[in-house]
Amino acid sequence: MRQESVRRIISLCLLFLLIAVFGLTSSYFLAPKNIYAFLRDASVTGILTVGVSFVIITAGIDLSTGALTALCAMLMANFLYYQPGVPIPVLCIVSILVGILGGLLNGFVVTRLKLPDFIATLATQGIFRGLTMFFAIRESGRIRNQVIKNRAFLAFSGKFGFGLFYVTVVFAVMVIIGQLLLKKTKIGVYTYATGSNRKSADLSGIPADRIKRFAFVLSGFCCGLAAIFLLARTGAATVDLGTGLEFDVIAAVVVGGCAFSGGRGDVVGSMIGALFMAILTNGIYKYNLGSEYHVIIKGVVIIIMVLFDSVYQYWFRSRTRSADKRARNGKAVVE
Amino acid sequence: MNGQVLLRAENIHKSFSGVQVLKGVNLEIRAGEVHALMGENGAGKSTLIKIIMGVYPKDSGDIWVQGEKVEINSRQDAQRLGLAVIYQELSLIPTLTVMQNILLGQETQKAGLLDRRAMMRRVQELMDRFDLHLDPNEVVENLSIAQQQTVEILKSLTVDAPLIIMDEPTASLSASESERLFDIIDRLRSRGVGILYITHRLEEVRLLADRLTVLRDGENVAVVEKKDYDPQKIIRMMIGKEITTAADRVEMKRPSGPVGLSVRNLCRKGVFRDISFDAHHGEILGIGGLVGSGRTEVLRAIFGADRYDSGEITFDGKKIASTVSGNILKGFGLIPEDRRAQGFIPLQSIRKNVALTNYDLLSGALGLIRSGQESAMCDRAIRDLDIRPNLPSMPVINLSGGNQQKVVVGKWMARDLKVLLVDEPTAGIDVGVKEAIYQILESLAASGVIVIVVSSDLQELLRVSTRILVMREGRIFKEFCEGMITQEDILTAASGIDSSMEVSDE
Repeated sequence: MRQESVRRIISLCLLFLLIAVFGLTSSYFLAPKNIYAFLRDASVTGILTVGVSFVIITAGIDLSTGALTALCAMLMANFLYYQPGVPIPVLCIVSILVGILGGLLNGFVVTRLKLPDFIATLATQGIFRGLTMFFAIRESGRIRNQVIKNRAFLAFSGKFGFGLFYVTVVFAVMVIIGQLLLKKTKIGVYTYATGSNRKSADLSGIPADRIKRFAFVLSGFCCGLAAIFLLARTGAATVDLGTGLEFDVIAAVVVGGCAFSGGRGDVVGSMIGALFMAILTNGIYKYNLGSEYHVIIKGVVIIIMVLFDSVYQYWFRSRTRSADKRARNGKAVVE
Repeated sequence: MNGQVLLRAENIHKSFSGVQVLKGVNLEIRAGEVHALMGENGAGKSTLIKIIMGVYPKDSGDIWVQGEKVEINSRQDAQRLGLAVIYQELSLIPTLTVMQNILLGQETQKAGLLDRRAMMRRVQELMDRFDLHLDPNEVVENLSIAQQQTVEILKSLTVDAPLIIMDEPTASLSASESERLFDIIDRLRSRGVGILYITHRLEEVRLLADRLTVLRDGENVAVVEKKDYDPQKIIRMMIGKEITTAADRVEMKRPSGPVGLSVRNLCRKGVFRDISFDAHHGEILGIGGLVGSGRTEVLRAIFGADRYDSGEITFDGKKIASTVSGNILKGFGLIPEDRRAQGFIPLQSIRKNVALTNYDLLSGALGLIRSGQESAMCDRAIRDLDIRPNLPSMPVINLSGGNQQKVVVGKWMARDLKVLLVDEPTAGIDVGVKEAIYQILESLAASGVIVIVVSSDLQELLRVSTRILVMREGRIFKEFCEGMITQEDILTAASGIDSSMEVSDE
């Protein structure tokens, strides 16, 4: 069986294992209301994982997603506060445009200024967070967490009559688009090629830098989109909105099977990862454990999954190699 | 289509920093022929290939592809003209499928989406046409090396009139995989593909080549047709002497010192087997053979850098350690072939590099480095080995190749060295400095150190060794321990030919 299918089965098994454990120990866990709740919890992170998956498959990393999402949200909050007349669709477009601009900046610093992704996006994370503070709404000089009262905007946090939240639908649509892009288009093939073997991608005439820029822009786009739903849900733009969100996103992507070495994983895997992390959080709260446990467990999960992936890849490779060797030894006897 | 000239290079000149590497080389490859390119290391083969592939610009000369004069300035240019190289190390995308790799950069699209069916059809046609069958949906990293090579070949066949350059393609293949490759080459030839085959292996040339171009010192020696093929003559052409003069003969000696290092039946599956030899105190034991014959791997196994499956290595009667650090403590040193990646720490100073393996000798109270001794060690190495410039704080990356090598030697000489394993002692080093390196090795041997030298440079091997083993396909094929020998003798043995005047041990 192929390595990627095996990996998919493993992450699905992990997900179902988690659902089974919580489902059996808590009667409330599998109630429809709770299912819609954790689907909603998975969605904002999930939207971000679509873009970040692309970045990680190109063997990059994006640490700026949490801060960029906050910046987009803060700018929308500004409009809602100072220019209440601006139509909601325009607001959404602004958010997405700012996200794309942020992604362009990341792509520029990485591909043109040639900074390593890690340092580049760590730096832009600071810049985006700083800008978020810069645009924070103040009253007599002090930052105020202005509550959003615009009902039309708050409707983004709403749900369908039967209980499914809008944001979950957007998440699902993004996963479908992302997966299509990755598996059915040239851009997708080139994304894998760039991350898997940059040198031979270059020799095959693949515009690897352009692919990396595209991945960052997509990641920025996802930030702009996620910001809309995050702001509507929290109801106020704080300067520390989305802090640590990039951590959740990376954890989800890693659980889903994207490797930091690049060239592996896909959007559907990351979706499974996002669900896994949301269910884990949901379950932890059900056990009345504090959020400190949640953060620690997330850290441990990242270590375990990365460790697992490297052991598992080593195992897979040694299996092919021993098959190779068997072929050789067979001949050695004939000689 | 067969017989049409695919590529003609005429009067190609190239020099690097004043040294003429190619002095008016000609090369002509026709459709449907396997054209072998042979020559000693440094004859200019790889420079010529790199010029054809647009990696280096040429100084002068012309290249025609299918009758049209072309300028090739990049790999992309070469690819467009249907020129492809299959390197020893493969350049595929491991996580993509066979089909995606073959058509990488040439995907078919329909309405912005990949047209998988059309692509599959194209790959299937290609596979049928050349009779090379693989599962197009298999992920490349799950394939064997030989299958991956087939993918590379298919990738280079997507153009109209392909010319495939194969650079030592069998170096990493087993005998059966090589035979399968020869079979593929045959099929390609019969379908009009031109193949330029670079190799050191005479038997492959005899088996495959329709014509053969021999290069020596950047010049054409001859173009040989298949019917005129004679291995002894070709060896002579490569070495460049019709009759070897007395000065080219070197005397081999039976070692007189006591046995120090003893290797018995060393085996590593698929890499080397039945390696047994003794190395004596005070001798320089040369190991010759073709690239891929297992020489480097044996050295690394002795040093403890690689594992081996069975066999025994003893030093002065005691079994040696199986780890690098254990062997270093016992007085072993390794000078690797790839200096830059394995020999030294590029950005660190001469002083730190010389001290690198010797901090056990330099640590003082509380585990701090005794920097006075560290400096003294470096000064000694600079003085003894004549490292230039004599600035201990100079990063080693800024030194010339020869001086870098001296630093690598220096870090071992600072210890109580017993065994020095040297892989290609002067690769990439100026001619003038080579002699200095040889003298260092000789003075080490004179002081009782066992020096084992692996080299592909025959002249060097003869110059420095007191005794020579020749390896072939993972085994010791021949030992030269007495009498006068020449480069020809070594090359003949490395090619697996039993010269009539010698008695083979096989």
